[in-house]
Amino acid sequence: MREAVAVPWFSAGLKEWIFTTDHKKIGILYFTTGLVFFIVAGLFGLLIRFEQNSPGFQVVSPGFYNYLLTGHGAVMLLWWAIAAHIGGFGNFLLPLMIGARDVAFPRLNALSYWAFFGASVIVLLTLIPGNHIKMMWTGYPPYAAHADAGVTAYYVFAIHLLGVSSIATAVNFITTYIRMRAPGIGFWNTNLYVHSLIAANVIQLIGVPSLAGAVTMLFLDRYLGTNFFNPALGGDPLLYQNVFWFYSHPAVYVMIIPIFGFYSEILSTFARKPIFGYKSMVFAIWGITVISFIVWIHHMFTSGVPDWARVLMSYTTVLVAVPTGVKIFNWVATLHGGAIILRSPMLYTLGGIFMFLIGGLTGIPNAMVAIDLGVHDSLFVVGHFHYVLGMALTLGIFGAVIFWFPKVIGKMYPENLGKISFWLVFIGANIFYFSQMVAGFIGMPRRYPDYPPIPEWVVLNQISTVGALILGLGVLVFLIGIVKGITSGEKAPANPWQSPSLEWRIDSPAPVDNFGEKPPKVEPDYHPYKYGAPPTF
Amino acid sequence: MDQVLAYPAKWWNEAVIVWLVVAVVIYSVTAIPGLYFIFKYRFKPGEREVGDHEKHGHWGLEALWTIVPTIVVLVLATYSFAVFKKQRTVPEGAMTLKVTGFMWGWQVEYLDDQGNTIRTVVTAYNPTSYETPEEQKIVVPAGRPIKVLLTSMDVIHAFYVMPAKIVEDAVPGRITYLWFQINKPGEYWVFCREFCGTGHSHMFAKLKVVPPEQFALWLRGGSDLAKKEAGENI
Repeated sequence: MREAVAVPWFSAGLKEWIFTTDHKKIGILYFTTGLVFFIVAGLFGLLIRFEQNSPGFQVVSPGFYNYLLTGHGAVMLLWWAIAAHIGGFGNFLLPLMIGARDVAFPRLNALSYWAFFGASVIVLLTLIPGNHIKMMWTGYPPYAAHADAGVTAYYVFAIHLLGVSSIATAVNFITTYIRMRAPGIGFWNTNLYVHSLIAANVIQLIGVPSLAGAVTMLFLDRYLGTNFFNPALGGDPLLYQNVFWFYSHPAVYVMIIPIFGFYSEILSTFARKPIFGYKSMVFAIWGITVISFIVWIHHMFTSGVPDWARVLMSYTTVLVAVPTGVKIFNWVATLHGGAIILRSPMLYTLGGIFMFLIGGLTGIPNAMVAIDLGVHDSLFVVGHFHYVLGMALTLGIFGAVIFWFPKVIGKMYPENLGKISFWLVFIGANIFYFSQMVAGFIGMPRRYPDYPPIPEWVVLNQISTVGALILGLGVLVFLIGIVKGITSGEKAPANPWQSPSLEWRIDSPAPVDNFGEKPPKVEPDYHPYKYGAPPTF
Repeated sequence: MDQVLAYPAKWWNEAVIVWLVVAVVIYSVTAIPGLYFIFKYRFKPGEREVGDHEKHGHWGLEALWTIVPTIVVLVLATYSFAVFKKQRTVPEGAMTLKVTGFMWGWQVEYLDDQGNTIRTVVTAYNPTSYETPEEQKIVVPAGRPIKVLLTSMDVIHAFYVMPAKIVEDAVPGRITYLWFQINKPGEYWVFCREFCGTGHSHMFAKLKVVPPEQFALWLRGGSDLAKKEAGENI
């Protein structure tokens, strides 16, 4: 294992990449895979948008449209919103932020990536016509057990492999955090990103088995004739929804909590002051984690579950707003009295918080069961979750890419491209998803490739398309920035943002053995947000 | 006749306004100070180079923005509970329709007081158009509450009555329900809102709301409403 980490990533050969157990290289592998899938799923999204642009079937057939939607949803959520940043940034940053040499189980870490890679291959196989899966990423039976849904097995096996990967990663990260902190790093001076990452992985550890169970029953029903979800023989389709959402609701916090971590790191750095209310931030993270497991019925408010269950989970769901609200208010308070520098990571972070604020406020009507009865399964829900999971998350990741680019690549991300891409993404996304929410509010259902020519619907969909094109252009500019940064970026110093956090105390790019043979010396009053000296960038 | 177009849409609209007001207020108290701070506390070389790094938090403020939002959301949830009760309580004197979803259409049975089927309307799947032949329209009386009993023959569907702003899933092996009342005669949309496959976006129905007398005639006689109407118009 020693020789496996002997070469830095930029001089590693193919063999090294395949057999590596180095957390930094595995992180790069994860993020690169996630980014490629993000681009493909984004193009799927554009096709979906063009089809919905006007009534009638213009671009694709309804069957192919359903494949595009399934692929867009599953890949964006599982590859981009989970694997790309938990596997990518989590792997890269966790050991550096706590002053460790690597994660606790480096070989298990490699297994995590390669299981994820296996799932990626399965997803690529569905691109072949005849292998299309069309049951939506939620895979509700009895539809998913119906021939019209396509090859359900691909979906099931992809989830199984991802599950193996996620559980192994969760075990690994939680153990790493508990056992491998450098002396001087305690619970109350850990980076908020690390707190978020660990909370997200606790959810993964508890929740993923539930999802794996749900899809396994689906597989048995479809191919081996069991009747878990077949009402004709005593099964119940709602059982699937309960087991599925028991994980898949908390999963949205797996996706977004680490992004909150990015926000906190970047906001504090560019406001040049400590994060406001560090302790209440930590409590908020764990509060969200706990509440996330008792709200899943809000995905089933109109599914025929008993009324008392809907009311109960309506109350628990609105309570999620409290810890998330605390975080937003703390971020705003962090700005107060700062010396704010609007570099592109900061713009992405502020934009992301703004998107999350809108996303959070438009989440309230989904939580208030009375309003949800009118907007459930409408485009309003789609617009809402693209504000939170689509954009708050993507802006967070983009900001994080630019922020940690020097530590990973050793060069700076081109600042002008960062700024241009931010404004394009931000403006495009708001035009796109806001009009989608309005269309949903006046009744347009989701997952419709065709719709009657109701004038308001047509106009709103056309505005959405304009927004989507601007958004797509912004993403393109961002990607060009990555290529330009890698090829001709300015050489980065060890600590370009003058951050006191541990990962900035080593060279850029991070050396193969991190801090060397001995754990880093952490001063007794160490805190990752201790911004005192004036910056020189 | 009642001035309100439809129930439970009336209460739904009120609830939306309540939410919007709360959302705009929360948005303002968050975004306006945020933007103000961004402009005011800008980094200036030689003048403002370090942030206020002694400030780590404020116990009172943090408690304030934990407690106030908790109260706000609990009030909202309780208000929503009250509205929800009205949405789920079928008024006296409602007429019952039994609606069965299938891939991809609706079968609507009109039940009498004993639960016997008087008349049945079945919509046909049309993958290219949103036109509905007259005999496939779901005819209901204006101004009378209608209880819809829902189930499905195959996969899960959802019955969304657009003017009434209400949706409920049609689940195979279960009977679910919703109720609505539309006061103004006219034609309205019904859509399937739970994903159900290739024909999902064409699983719709036209709801034809007619004055009660006309409805009674249609239901009793099984007569062709379109012809009758055409005759009246001449």
